[in-house]
Amino acid sequence: MSRPLVGPRLQRVLALVPWILTHPGVTIEELATRFEVGERELERDLELLPMCGLPPYTADRLIDVSVIDGGVEIRLAEYFERPLRLTPAEGLALLAAGRALLAVPGSDADGPLATALATLDDALGAPGSLAVDVGASDQLERLQDATATDERVEIDYYSFARDEMTTRVIDPWRVFHAFGTWYVAGWCHRADAERLFRVDRVRAVRATGEHFDPATRSDSDVRDLVYHPSPDDPRVTLRLAPAAEWVVESHPHESATQRKDGSWEVVLAVSESAWLERLLVSLGPDATVVAPPELVDLGAAAARRLRARYQPS
Amino acid sequence: MADRLERLVNLTATLLETRRPLTLDELSDRVEPRYPEELGSRRRQFERDKETLRELGIPIRVETVDGFGAEQAYRIHPDDYYLPELELTEAELAALHVAVTAVRLEGDAGREGLAKLGGLAGEGADSPLAQLDVTPGLAVLFDAVSRHATVSFSYRGDVRHLDPYGVVLRFGHWYVVGHDHDRDAPRAFRVDRIDGEADLGPPDAFTPPAGIDPADYVRADPMTYGEDQPVDAHVLVDAPRAGWVVDQLGDEAVLERRGDGAVVVVLPVVNRAAFRSWVVDLLDHAEVLSPPELRADMIEWLDAIAATGDGSAP
Repeated sequence: MSRPLVGPRLQRVLALVPWILTHPGVTIEELATRFEVGERELERDLELLPMCGLPPYTADRLIDVSVIDGGVEIRLAEYFERPLRLTPAEGLALLAAGRALLAVPGSDADGPLATALATLDDALGAPGSLAVDVGASDQLERLQDATATDERVEIDYYSFARDEMTTRVIDPWRVFHAFGTWYVAGWCHRADAERLFRVDRVRAVRATGEHFDPATRSDSDVRDLVYHPSPDDPRVTLRLAPAAEWVVESHPHESATQRKDGSWEVVLAVSESAWLERLLVSLGPDATVVAPPELVDLGAAAARRLRARYQPS
Repeated sequence: MADRLERLVNLTATLLETRRPLTLDELSDRVEPRYPEELGSRRRQFERDKETLRELGIPIRVETVDGFGAEQAYRIHPDDYYLPELELTEAELAALHVAVTAVRLEGDAGREGLAKLGGLAGEGADSPLAQLDVTPGLAVLFDAVSRHATVSFSYRGDVRHLDPYGVVLRFGHWYVVGHDHDRDAPRAFRVDRIDGEADLGPPDAFTPPAGIDPADYVRADPMTYGEDQPVDAHVLVDAPRAGWVVDQLGDEAVLERRGDGAVVVVLPVVNRAAFRSWVVDLLDHAEVLSPPELRADMIEWLDAIAATGDGSAP
């Protein structure tokens, strides 16, 4: 049996006690739900308290816990009447989550979330100092509505990787924000497969008059959906100068090795060559294809093609 | 385990309740279960307890008292410990519960914070709506914002000194914004590009200007972000991408709409590399028209890359 960690349990006890002190008679069941702990474990926390208190640990100095008709009461622990301050990480996490949700179109700007965040802002001594911009796209609200009502829609979608505009019918299962942008996940009838679309690349949404069966929704993990290379996708080995290190940080890759001179060798799955062309032409001398041989010249060829537009010069 | 937990609760209570700082000897005489008699292991166990409390955010002040020679003594200052009275309603707690379940951040800090405020009320959200990355070092910067402490950190090889006014998440990246001492100007820094952790100066070192919105410090587009001399670029975008580009830049950026559906748009450029990437992202559907130096810059860039190939590819 692994030893339970003392830190998390102490943290829980220091949160439980103030709540019970200010809500005498609260039931074990409610405490267990509120503080995400099993009832048996909670009872063990409560059994610990009567052994705690202040020196010299005489009866009048020890915490008094009583459970009457299922309701819990605590006395002689005035020094724990208020909870511990939020740590910077906790305050940040609460404000960031709250601000992000509040920034989503359709949320209530004056509701309980907004008032709770204003109170937290003041308590943390930095009113208005944390801002979260989740961005908005023209079609975001339309797609949220379609998702909420199981509406099958037709979209005009710009496929960045292939650099082409397509029209397709989709069943939008979920709309969510990740990696700084909005996505809609759903069933694509054109591909006849689950697909992920970036909302900012959806140019138009049209009604089809049909609805889809909500039971077909799948609940794939956000990260898996955003990056799921097929085993058949070609693997490309790139050499990146130290200045292009951000590519390693910001693109999912199969492997990355830093060499002695600070440069990187990265292996990426590349399903569409337009994506790789852009990367190579943007990075120029900072990126070269090492393998496979048929892609070594891809960047130079793309640059020649783009250069043709600027003739004569 | 139970003994140690008991002692940690008692140690916290004692340090909170005391009116004057207590030395380790005094704590050993008072707090139960007792620390060991042997001085070395007593000190080690106390340091371990102190570290556990510190990790939970329980601030123990160390003060020097005059006894037999200068000695270290400890207490928890009530102002450092107690959460201010917030009086959040049940509906507000339920709304925060929805927020921490709908918006996923790495780690449990949100739920742990919520436990201090009154735990999980209501139902929470049934599926995540957003996933936010939390950059290491961000909490330290946010702490500096709360305390009005000047921070110093290493950024792209330079040491920078900043009065931080806020933190902003935009385009999926966290920025810390404020007044940059070295440039004597407002600046925004990407937190993931800061090397190591920021150093905090003493609290209350500055007063943030009233009524500022930190989001204003982070410019709306990364392309307008740089130190080059600002210049307006005119770019021709072909019909297939015109709609998309106009959505992105807004109607006010359109200089000309051509009969074939193409548009000419204007962009303020202060970062040539970012501008080039923006044009290259449009691949065959865009052309830099003016000013001549930006057009020449693009041609030179493409020529240099084209020259690296052996010409065998189409």
